Amino acid sequence: MRELPSEVRELDREILTFIRKGVDHQDADQFNRLALRTFELQYDHIPLYQRYCERRGVTPKEVSSWEEIPPLPTDCFKAADLTLLPAHTVSTFMTSGTTRPEERGRVHYDEGGLKLMDATILEAASTYLFPDGLKNLILIIAPPPQRAPHMVMAYGMNHLKEHFGLPRSRFLVEADGFEVQDLVDDLRRSETEGTPTAIFGGSFGFVNFFDYCRQEELRFHLPFGSRCLDAGGFKGRSREVGRDAFLDSCEEFLGVPRGYCVNLLGMTEIASQFYDNTLCNLHKGVTAPRFKVSPPWTRTMVVDPDTLEPLPAGEQGLLRHFDLANRGHICAIQTDDMGKQVENGFEVYGRAHEGEARGCSLTIDEMTRVLEGG
Amino acid sequence: METIEVNGYYLPPRLRKGIKTFRTEVYQDDSTTLHLKIPVVTRAIVEELADHLKKNREEYLAQLPIERIVAILDEASRRWLDRDYPYRKLALRTIPVVTGFTPEVVEASIDVEMESSLGEDMWKALCSEIANPLYLDDFQYSEELNGFRRAFGPELIVSFFSENIPALPHLLFMRSALLKAACLGKVAAGEPTFAPLYLKTIEDIDPQMANAMAVLYWPGGDEAIEDAVFNQTDAVIVFGGVETCKALMERIPRRIRLLAHGHKMGFGVIGREAMKTENLKELAAAVAYDHSMFDQHACLAPHCYYAEYGGEVTPQELARTLAGAMEEMEVRMPRGKISARDAALINQLRGRYEVQELNGEDCLLLPSSHGTAWTIIYERDPGAFSPSPLNRVIRIWGIEDIFQVLPAIRPLRPFLQNAAVAVGDEREKEFIEELGALGLSRITAPGKMPVPSMMWRHDGITPLALLLRWCDVEKKEKIE
Repeated sequence: MRELPSEVRELDREILTFIRKGVDHQDADQFNRLALRTFELQYDHIPLYQRYCERRGVTPKEVSSWEEIPPLPTDCFKAADLTLLPAHTVSTFMTSGTTRPEERGRVHYDEGGLKLMDATILEAASTYLFPDGLKNLILIIAPPPQRAPHMVMAYGMNHLKEHFGLPRSRFLVEADGFEVQDLVDDLRRSETEGTPTAIFGGSFGFVNFFDYCRQEELRFHLPFGSRCLDAGGFKGRSREVGRDAFLDSCEEFLGVPRGYCVNLLGMTEIASQFYDNTLCNLHKGVTAPRFKVSPPWTRTMVVDPDTLEPLPAGEQGLLRHFDLANRGHICAIQTDDMGKQVENGFEVYGRAHEGEARGCSLTIDEMTRVLEGG
Repeated sequence: METIEVNGYYLPPRLRKGIKTFRTEVYQDDSTTLHLKIPVVTRAIVEELADHLKKNREEYLAQLPIERIVAILDEASRRWLDRDYPYRKLALRTIPVVTGFTPEVVEASIDVEMESSLGEDMWKALCSEIANPLYLDDFQYSEELNGFRRAFGPELIVSFFSENIPALPHLLFMRSALLKAACLGKVAAGEPTFAPLYLKTIEDIDPQMANAMAVLYWPGGDEAIEDAVFNQTDAVIVFGGVETCKALMERIPRRIRLLAHGHKMGFGVIGREAMKTENLKELAAAVAYDHSMFDQHACLAPHCYYAEYGGEVTPQELARTLAGAMEEMEVRMPRGKISARDAALINQLRGRYEVQELNGEDCLLLPSSHGTAWTIIYERDPGAFSPSPLNRVIRIWGIEDIFQVLPAIRPLRPFLQNAAVAVGDEREKEFIEELGALGLSRITAPGKMPVPSMMWRHDGITPLALLLRWCDVEKKEKIE
């Protein structure tokens, strides 16, 4: 494949340097400079985005701060290709959660973009997931990348496994589904051998495993230094599991204390990941409430769900992220997650709840269930 | 900030003292705090109430001539149509706080509901369903039978309202009264203020009739209460989503007559001959009205309008003219407040269609200038039906031929209810026949979707006749 254009390579080098300075390095001016340069590049080379910005009267010349850069709603990735260098695509990640292919968002990565993502994965995980530098046996309740090449979670967790995993670390969802007995066997062995073990998976994968443990009357007491990483939360699921109940289950069934349980907010449309601050704080000896951290190469703001105007700090609204590692598509992303800004990060509540009593018209949820045969 | 206290229930006067425990629900908007007083309902209360309602029905309502009942209900509707009627004024202050609808929408909905609930409408509805309303009073000679015939309504009808459409519950109280049945309405948590006020009106006109009517709230699915209710009733009417209806139906004993009105959806179809320049403004205003009433929350509201290509006016032009009509509507009858989730859905949908439009696809996004007040999306019909997130999100789907609508809506057969149809040429009859065969129960003109008459066979059934039991006497001579 052809080499990336030199201006892109140059920018990537600088963003990479910025990311590799780690999560404690704050340089707002440099962040802003890089954000504006990336915006200009995306504006110049993604004609669709250019038209989108023009409609809002925004051009790179007039923009002086990353906050003014027009964000794209996540659903745009279901409808159009918004890739900086489409001819250089090496990986494509897709959103899940529906059986209708036209309802899946797609994000394409070139080689340089993928390197940026890889760097964010390592930098964030080494602070928020493995601040103790302890290697773990990593057991992943997800399919390996070969089986799920378009699943960004599989890609990211594989990367973590390669860098932070002991030998025998592995994925546990294969052709026949979740190999629950393998997980049980591995966990027993870790108990006996005293191997610190990390379980990774989608939040619902954990819940299903806890259900299994309850039914089979299984309890584990994993060695000190073991941890849980759950991704995704419970949005869009019929069954709601509260965060507290989830953490109780980690303790009850796995013997992993709350401080070692980390939730990850990752999105197909955003290259970087947002981790809970819990384990990092525990390691530093800091007591602080649990929230998600926006690493220094990202920014998160909260906007009014109706007007999309920024809200004052502390108010609840929709989360909007800006991610330098999104160089390969669009940096500013408007999500439909509800949340609240806190210092250096945010709280996320998942999708806002549907109102209790409504009209008598068939709702979008009911109709979608009918149309998808669910 | 103004504080209003209202009752979220209605009980016959004699029973009011019996309730000792109340709780207060607090609702708030920018200018008003509403304290809604709700009794804590127990099995014993429900049992006593049902006894009371049935007894009063037998002693009074069942003996009232149908003409008198119609006159009382007519008087109630007329009072509500009077702009200075105190209960109406109160409802316009309370319902918006609870539901989020604007006072303009609530006002329009009261007008629409009450204008179609006058004496003449009730009489016609009775004639249409049971031929002779006097069958409800006494044995009447029937020529076909060559004998005498009389209709008996249920003793007690229990209605479950699971939605927040203002002014809808009164329809069920009207229907029950027309059948000379006592009626207990179980209101939704989302809109418990209108029905109690309506029954106060009945009480003011004829306190004895109101003695056979009640409105209560209890948490849906409370088996102790609901089983007690089912023990005492002989008819149940349910409004609600698939899950609500299913859960209730599983628990209702078989001897009870049951009418279930699940959530439904509507749409519009405009044929090329009806896409004319001369009436474009009127057409757009009609389409705007259909989508704006109840902010699209009612089952009568359309999710989309199909517009055929090849007429004088293109579907795109219709969409553009509609934008003007929606702008006017926002001034005259603004949309209510919506949840963060609903607003987020609309903003995501807008983003998606905007990039498609900018990408040169055959679609058009026309959003309100501020916030999510209204949204129009034109696109070439994708063939598969996509629902609207409601709250004044209008989809205009361009189609080559109106008959292409049929396969697209076929998967939604159990939910089809209403369609506005303007074909404008000789295909109309065949098209309407096809829609009827698919499962539609009401076909009307654009601009008329939110206003069915009382004669409408609601969801394709005869809502009055289905609850009656008949007694035929095969005897030619008068019964003495």
